[in-house]
Amino acid sequence: MKKHYFLILFIIIAINFFLPRAMPGDPFLYISVEEGGVATTFSQNQIEQYKAYYGLDKPLYIQFFNYIRKLLRGDLGYSIYYDTSVSKMILIRMPWTIFIVVCSLFLSSIFGTIIGAISAYVREKCADKLMYIFMIVFSEIPSFLLGLLLLFVFAAKLKCFPLSGGITAFASYDTVWSYWYDILHHAALPIITLTLAGLGNYYLLSRNSMLSVLSKDYINTARAKGLKKGRILFKHALRNSLPPIIARMFMSLGNLFGGAVLVENVFAYPGVGKLMSEAVRTRDYVLIQGIFLVVALMMLLMNCLADIVYKKLDPRII
Amino acid sequence: MNISCFSTSKYMGKKVQGKFKIIKLFSTYGKFGIIVILFMLFIGIVSILFMGNSYKIPSGRSLEAPSLVHLLGTDDLGIDLLAQICHGAVVSILVGFCSAALAGIGGSIFGILSGYYGGWMDKLVMGICDTLMVIPQLPLMIILGALFGPSIKNIVLVIALLSWSRPARIVRSKVLSMRHERYITASQSYGAGFLHLVVKHFLPGVFPIMMVSVIGTISHAIRAEASLSFLGLGDPTSKSWGVILNRSINFKGIYFTDYWKWWVMAPLSMLILLVLSISFVSRDMEKVANKKL
Repeated sequence: MKKHYFLILFIIIAINFFLPRAMPGDPFLYISVEEGGVATTFSQNQIEQYKAYYGLDKPLYIQFFNYIRKLLRGDLGYSIYYDTSVSKMILIRMPWTIFIVVCSLFLSSIFGTIIGAISAYVREKCADKLMYIFMIVFSEIPSFLLGLLLLFVFAAKLKCFPLSGGITAFASYDTVWSYWYDILHHAALPIITLTLAGLGNYYLLSRNSMLSVLSKDYINTARAKGLKKGRILFKHALRNSLPPIIARMFMSLGNLFGGAVLVENVFAYPGVGKLMSEAVRTRDYVLIQGIFLVVALMMLLMNCLADIVYKKLDPRII
Repeated sequence: MNISCFSTSKYMGKKVQGKFKIIKLFSTYGKFGIIVILFMLFIGIVSILFMGNSYKIPSGRSLEAPSLVHLLGTDDLGIDLLAQICHGAVVSILVGFCSAALAGIGGSIFGILSGYYGGWMDKLVMGICDTLMVIPQLPLMIILGALFGPSIKNIVLVIALLSWSRPARIVRSKVLSMRHERYITASQSYGAGFLHLVVKHFLPGVFPIMMVSVIGTISHAIRAEASLSFLGLGDPTSKSWGVILNRSINFKGIYFTDYWKWWVMAPLSMLILLVLSISFVSRDMEKVANKKL
């Protein structure tokens, strides 16, 4: 099991190393010709010098070896385009992404589970069918399209939310509260988008899980004891249908990150996803490598955690 | 001779009836999905046959509101949006279909290989599948999209490359369960080789189950193409819905004028409609297949 994860880790590092090197385009073209600016050209000599400086003139296997050695030290290198440390750039952007991802993860899992439980309790009735269709529709719409829809309706038309960014530029705040209010106000639409997109998953899972639990004998016993509906639903049934939901929370983080990359670009939210599309546009090998590696590592970790947590929660799984 | 002909045609008739029965088994939403998909195919065909090059040649003033001449208005270059949307349907359906077909074919080849031979082959293929499932798909797609360069062919290849693992798993498990059936053992004892077994027994057995997963892949592929184009990694000459969206979003002042009402909403709603209806259909197909198996 553990060996498996290490193998995947190695493959990810290898992909991460070799792919950007095969990309068309050259960072020198992007550094030397800027949009509308004066074209600074590099002489062949200077280009050689820079290539030597970044270690791009050595044979591939030595570059690969050096890369792994640097990774072990936690060094992701310097961005070619922005000229700052990649790990620092990712560290600055990461909290924004983690903030919206974690918020929407909790919101969608909690709401999805509760709605799913209620839906299973009133199964085959009109309310159940309505909720079912509503949830399926929202879970199938790609999150960035949903985001665009929300952006144009609520931000551009109704003007209740800011159009873009993570915080009002150049604003000064009187209190800590107004600072946090501003951040939340900017994050509201991205979080709502990701939550809506993730809701259906938990809903279906919780509904299925509840349906199987509700047909068990101990639920009948609880009913026969004359317990209240809410107590049966949330105390007896929901508790026993939680393990798959919690495991799903960890597993869905990967999809959520993928969705966040796009949603951040919709709302121009200053997270890792926005940084990634910027990096691709400027052909910044080092930055792309760094982001991809960090995101892949986090996902791998989450999958590993999901395995462990699931086993702890449900000892029947071997 | 006559009798055999008669029986074949009878058999065919039954089969056709069976195919229509599947649609009868669908829920209302599945039927709605089929109607929408047929409609998209229809506007695509109309665009190919009658609209010619109007999706790339300006035909009015720029940014006209919807009117009788331009039913959906025009974009910033004065190109009719209706023509663009109709053409976009061709691109989206083509991308979805081609990449799903490629993923299905590749997936079933690897699935059959790993299910039939087992051993190191099985371990290798399943290992690659596991890796593909764990690696974050969208970032990898972005990198690969940038690597191969923006063109429709490359987008199809990238999507197929990243989505063959699901069909492969399904096909493998089916082949594993088929391998020890009596009729396989019987034909093996008659000296049937691997190719014969695949063509005569495995492929027909695997086909329905593979189709279900392939239809799921179509919706995935359309989504992926739209996301890549939206990020600006699409083929700029292809005018898919994602490319139209990307152009409109990057237009300066789109948020402060009314242009979004037709320029953004048209491709957006078409994309949502298509993705939704395909997923409805695939859901119903899965349900029907599960009932039958």
